[in-house]
Amino acid sequence: MVSFVLIVLISLVFSGIVIRTKSIASGRKGPGIWQPMKDIFKLFKKGAVYSETTSIIFQIAPSIYFASVLMAIMVIPLGNSKGLISFAGDFVFFAYVLAVGKFFNIISALDTGSSFEGMGASREALFSMLAEPAFFILMGSLGLLTGYTSFHEIFMAFHFGSYVSYALGVIATFILIMICMIENSRMPVDDPKTHLELTMIHEVMILDNSGFDLGLIMHAINLKFAMYGALIANMFLGDAPMYLTIPLFLSIQVLFAVVVGILESFSARFRMNHNAQFILVLSSLSLLMFFGVLMVLGKFN
Amino acid sequence: MGVVALFALIVLIAGIVIGFSGPKSKGVVAITAILLLVSISSFMAIRALVGQPFQWMYSGSFVTGPVPVVVDTLSAWFILVINITFVTGAFYGHYYLKAYQMPSSKIALHWIYFVLVYGSLTATCAIQNMLVFLIAWEVMAVGAFFLVIFESDKSKTLRAGINYLIQSHIAILFLTIAFIWVYTTTGSFSFEAISQFSATAKPYRSFFLMILFMIGFGTKAGFIPFHTWLPHAHPAAPSHISGIMSGVLVKIGIYGIFRIATYMHQDYELIGIFILLLSLSSGLFGIINAAIHRDIKKMLAYCTIENIGILGIGIGLGFIGLGTSNYLLIFLGFGSALLHTFNHSLIKSLLFFSAGSLYQQTHTRDMEKLGGLIKQMPQTAMLFLVGSLAIGGMPPLNAFISEFLLYSGLVKGLMLPGSFNMVLMVTSMAVLAVIGGISIFAFSKFFGIVFLGTPKTSLYHKPHEVSLGMRLPQYAVIVAIVTVVLFPSFYLRILSTVVAAAFPRFQAMPLAEIEAITSIIQWVGWYSLLFIILILGVYAIRKLITKKQTETIHATWGCGYVAPNAAMQYTGKSFSKTLAKLLYFFVPEKKKYQELRSYEIFPAKRNHSTYYSDFFEQVIIDNLIQYLLNFMNFFQFIQNGKLQRYILYGLFFIIAILLGLAFTLVYGIFS
Repeated sequence: MVSFVLIVLISLVFSGIVIRTKSIASGRKGPGIWQPMKDIFKLFKKGAVYSETTSIIFQIAPSIYFASVLMAIMVIPLGNSKGLISFAGDFVFFAYVLAVGKFFNIISALDTGSSFEGMGASREALFSMLAEPAFFILMGSLGLLTGYTSFHEIFMAFHFGSYVSYALGVIATFILIMICMIENSRMPVDDPKTHLELTMIHEVMILDNSGFDLGLIMHAINLKFAMYGALIANMFLGDAPMYLTIPLFLSIQVLFAVVVGILESFSARFRMNHNAQFILVLSSLSLLMFFGVLMVLGKFN
Repeated sequence: MGVVALFALIVLIAGIVIGFSGPKSKGVVAITAILLLVSISSFMAIRALVGQPFQWMYSGSFVTGPVPVVVDTLSAWFILVINITFVTGAFYGHYYLKAYQMPSSKIALHWIYFVLVYGSLTATCAIQNMLVFLIAWEVMAVGAFFLVIFESDKSKTLRAGINYLIQSHIAILFLTIAFIWVYTTTGSFSFEAISQFSATAKPYRSFFLMILFMIGFGTKAGFIPFHTWLPHAHPAAPSHISGIMSGVLVKIGIYGIFRIATYMHQDYELIGIFILLLSLSSGLFGIINAAIHRDIKKMLAYCTIENIGILGIGIGLGFIGLGTSNYLLIFLGFGSALLHTFNHSLIKSLLFFSAGSLYQQTHTRDMEKLGGLIKQMPQTAMLFLVGSLAIGGMPPLNAFISEFLLYSGLVKGLMLPGSFNMVLMVTSMAVLAVIGGISIFAFSKFFGIVFLGTPKTSLYHKPHEVSLGMRLPQYAVIVAIVTVVLFPSFYLRILSTVVAAAFPRFQAMPLAEIEAITSIIQWVGWYSLLFIILILGVYAIRKLITKKQTETIHATWGCGYVAPNAAMQYTGKSFSKTLAKLLYFFVPEKKKYQELRSYEIFPAKRNHSTYYSDFFEQVIIDNLIQYLLNFMNFFQFIQNGKLQRYILYGLFFIIAILLGLAFTLVYGIFS
């Protein structure tokens, strides 16, 4: 419950912080941290333009996408307080619920019959598919390390003891950041700054969305950022009391947003055909994590 | 005695009545017969599930030995799965075939074999004598062949049918070898002999026996590399038959594997690892091919191979559980495989039925020619959408429940001792995740290209929604799907009795842990419901707010280009091109075109076509057949077309028999 509220709250300013970091890094004055939210609220109030090619799918898809992200957030715990939904193996539910949103996003892009949006849809489907094993191997290794299978129990039992486990924490954090960037089609994989048709994945998929629907999709991205931020934060929270957990959680989220901003400021987008290799490297990194876990457990003796 | 005789009698009478009834009522007679048979077999199956298994021992002939006919819980589960798909398939097929202008004899033959295949399918689930089992299996294989070649005037259909017939007989060959091996060792044709064989066999013998069975049953089920009949037979068959074949006929192979598994006594882990690796590659191979093919039914056929792979992962996991005496793993592995059998039979029949509706209206199976069909066939589109969400294992639909069970099993398997097991489990998890990802890729492509956008070619007939008779069976399937989502614990309780009865040596299952899993699964069901409510809630809020706002209809944004046309849409081929390019070594792309010659100053119109070929079919099977043909050429002198020689062969044969007899007599006298 606490985590759900906090994630929704932090999602309001997350993009703002990212944009603020980027503007500071590039020496611009830049908008305030509430600007993205103001934009979204403006979108909520606007009327919509629908393509004549589209069908009911195009109308329901943004709602389903948004609902799937909300549902996934419910699974995420906060320190020693459980998420709204918590059961053994809930990380599978988490990944598959997100997949439902993705599915509808893809078919809604195909619904417009546009030559651009199909391209974005194809790439979104491909890249998120390639990122999938990294997440599962990561969760599998964490499960193996701790002996539990739900987010809450895994994070509660995940302690930093030896040097190896610090290394594991670093790798896991890196993998989660990168999965987050891929899922949201951000920097090394895709560049949201080059708006509209030049952007290759996510932004091109939602070319025809407008008004309330576009607002929903935009905010779903904020929520997704905050959600992955919460996952990263949970790696470090452990079993701390609530008055420590909440400030720590918020500061890790802010730090994550700043890291995303810096990453976006100082890196260039890959060529599209190199993305697949990059994402597969992520899977091998999570395999490295897995072998690290085997090492910690002393299976190599 | 009575029930079995009644069962056979109904099949016989139905065959005769279908033959003599009018062309319109043949389907009705078949449906009636199927309903009668289904109620008998369901009655026996449900009785078995509540703890009163049906058992009958026929004395049999002196060749076969006694023939036990047993409907135990394992058979009961498969019989019920078969029943549901056959009932919906019969109804759908009756209305589907109305569009065909076929001679009445052909329709009669089709329905007679339909009933016969149902009879033999249920019989294979109950007969526990190897020889009689093989006979029932053969009837099923041949019957299915006649069902496939319904449109036998097309040469492609015949080719696919014969391909299927040959491959199913190769399967029978392996089964026969395995059965004979057991018979020569134990001297009995009863299934119990397999148990005796496995218990007393030397190390690895039991493993090799299982491999023989795996090849035999796996050919039916569609494990790679024995899958090559599936992508040909499914598109060739009429859609209700494809649905039944994919839904239940391939599952009889899974039944066989399960049945043999219950008789195994050693080498569990070896068998488990073998099945697991085979299934992982089947799953990956199937779904990658499904993502790139453009023939809608071929794509669904490859998707069947993928799902057989997912099933097989469960079976492999169960075997590893047997080997490590991990009761929870046995339950999760075999349980998820059994539940996925049911789920997949529902989903795949739904998908094939809606693909059949598509084919009936558009007369093409090429998805690149279709588009925007959601406007003409909204209900079929929605049915297909549910199917494609379900087959990807996405919540809130039924395959998620079985895949979740499988994931739970794999996670539990991670805790097994030994780093090899851990690597195996984590690889399986990753592969399963990739399979899920590609299946989203494949089905979003399918749905998006076929139902959304604008039509890519103009069709001769304007498609419209199919008849109610064809839609109703599909809605019935969806109702069954929803029951799995809402009451998974009900199904899981049944499955725990099935698994416990099938592996009685492991009766000591920790009930508390199984109860815990069951309650988690039930919660997953409720969360799925919550997810639907959440979606409806968000959509309601959206509806409420946008009600007051202006809504404009405009052309799709062409990024400044003002004259876009339908041909400029993203096609299925370009959608999957990036994936295919990434995996080019797995899905080789072939191109067909004529080079431009230097002397062609005014080149004529020419075609360029690309297609993907099946790696195993092209590299392994075709080459093997080529070698076999070359070898067989050495024996061509035997078949030389001279009648005199043929009579001579007969004479040789008789002399050989006489000599054999004489030898036996002499041997008998002197020993």
